[in-house]
Amino acid sequence: MTRSLSDDRPDDPPDRTESGGDAVADAEPAAVTGGAASDDPGRIKVGVGELAVTSDDAVLTTSGLGSCVAVALVDERAGVRGLLHAMLPAGEGRTTAVSRPAKYVDTGIDSLIGALDDAGADPRRLKARVAGGAEMLDLTDAVGPRNVDRVGEVLDAAGVPVVASDVGDAVGRTVRFGPDGRLVVRAADGFERAI
Amino acid sequence: MRVDVRALGACNRLAERGAKQAAGALSDLTGTDLAVEVTGASVASGEDLAESFAGRESIGVSVGLRGGLDGEAVLAFDAANVDALLSLLPGGASMERSAVTEVGNIALGGFLDGWANYLGKAIDMSPPRYFEADGAAVLPDGALAGDGVFLFESRLDATTTDLDFSIYMLPDSGPFRDLIVGKTARAATAGGEADGGTQSTAVPYESLSTFSSLAKRGSANAADNIAMMTGLETSVDVSRLRFVPLADVPAEVGTEPHAGTVFELRGEPSGYLAILFEESSAAAVADAMLPMEPDEPLGDMAENALCELGNVMTSGFIDGWANVLGTSITHSPPEFVHDIGASTISPLVAKLSERQDYGFVIDTAIQTEGIQARCDVYALPDERELARALDRLSGS
Repeated sequence: MTRSLSDDRPDDPPDRTESGGDAVADAEPAAVTGGAASDDPGRIKVGVGELAVTSDDAVLTTSGLGSCVAVALVDERAGVRGLLHAMLPAGEGRTTAVSRPAKYVDTGIDSLIGALDDAGADPRRLKARVAGGAEMLDLTDAVGPRNVDRVGEVLDAAGVPVVASDVGDAVGRTVRFGPDGRLVVRAADGFERAI
Repeated sequence: MRVDVRALGACNRLAERGAKQAAGALSDLTGTDLAVEVTGASVASGEDLAESFAGRESIGVSVGLRGGLDGEAVLAFDAANVDALLSLLPGGASMERSAVTEVGNIALGGFLDGWANYLGKAIDMSPPRYFEADGAAVLPDGALAGDGVFLFESRLDATTTDLDFSIYMLPDSGPFRDLIVGKTARAATAGGEADGGTQSTAVPYESLSTFSSLAKRGSANAADNIAMMTGLETSVDVSRLRFVPLADVPAEVGTEPHAGTVFELRGEPSGYLAILFEESSAAAVADAMLPMEPDEPLGDMAENALCELGNVMTSGFIDGWANVLGTSITHSPPEFVHDIGASTISPLVAKLSERQDYGFVIDTAIQTEGIQARCDVYALPDERELARALDRLSGS
């Protein structure tokens, strides 16, 4: 058996896309679901510095937000939602922002809006919910609050209203973004609230 | 041989993609959602490997490689994990051998596809061979004799169960060697890669394994200091130097509530160190240190006790580094944390991520006897500073 660029074995996953020698430097594609013939819409986990978009009933989740910030955008009419878990405020002008836009608030929100647009959302109808950005440690010079400020600026510039947020303080958070468009925020002690 | 840590990042990225392909294929096969939680690359010397495999049983699949890569790649599951794997597969336990072979074949195939693309050369894979092995016999031939192996470990998360697997490859086969010393990366990205350049991050392979044993000694010191302060007997369960995408570190700590202390390290290398206990362990250890039972399990008294403990553990941990590296390293006062595990470490990861996407993580699990307690130590040094210090180490 041979593994190569041109090898088209029948058992290959259908979505196998290869792009040649610079594969490592390529941007990670956003996870996008929708239209799959599955009864269970499932759960899509969004890791740190990642984003995902769904146009079905999947629940988007991201866990362990500390100073990181989660930005949840929904176009209710189109039924398209997206969730971003960004780590740092500003990526513009950085080389890694090209390969990992979702690592940063600014490039992450731009990518998320782009991915939502591609999935059928109208960027003018988007509404935002924001969670995280805690000031967990004195050691790390307010990276959480800086993330939250940057989210406000970038969403404002994009004309996306923030309808609810649960940010700041010194608490960790885990969030679920379900098909009703509400963001359920859960704290370490298990307390939950939907915003 | 010099290993370029940037190139190691690229290797890790390939391993991560391979793991994603494997997860996708497994999801199709089992009808269960599987997501890749963590992929890490580590450098392990023959001696370390023999020790860490002692008493372990593994089940795995091995393939021979020719062409773009030469040698052998082995994918192994801990025997204890195989039931979890089989429970996901149609046919279950009755298909053990063929199911494991198929899964291994798919995962190794996905893994190697990425490498073939990166190298721009086909890799021939011999048919998969199923094996069950005790101890270090799971490793590719020659692993224990030479420089050791590069170990790529991935953890897949299914809704119902966690599934870990490891892929081992020998570093000494020609093209793979070119890859980790940065030759291939330089050729592939000629003219690109704006910040830094590759020279500054190349370190001698031997220094990496020196640092790995240093980390181990640090863990032993930290464990001794716990024993001294609490009177509890301690042992170091695991201690590894791994190279991982920093963004994966919070997921590795997990979403359970943790309590502990974090420190900033200053000097060469600078960075952060976190000592995290699960809540019940934190309470038990604090209790053992306090003269009387505290009013609340993780209140002020426990916080003070854990901070004091954190101080001596951290000193124990970094003492040896400074000596061997010939640098001076100090640490900040402890900062107490008590929250979702991943959340407590995310600001450290964010700060370090301003300068690097991948990092060396020393993770150590320390276990106490008598009372059930365990803590994990995560040391996150600055990549460039560590590379510089390691480079000097080999020159002296």
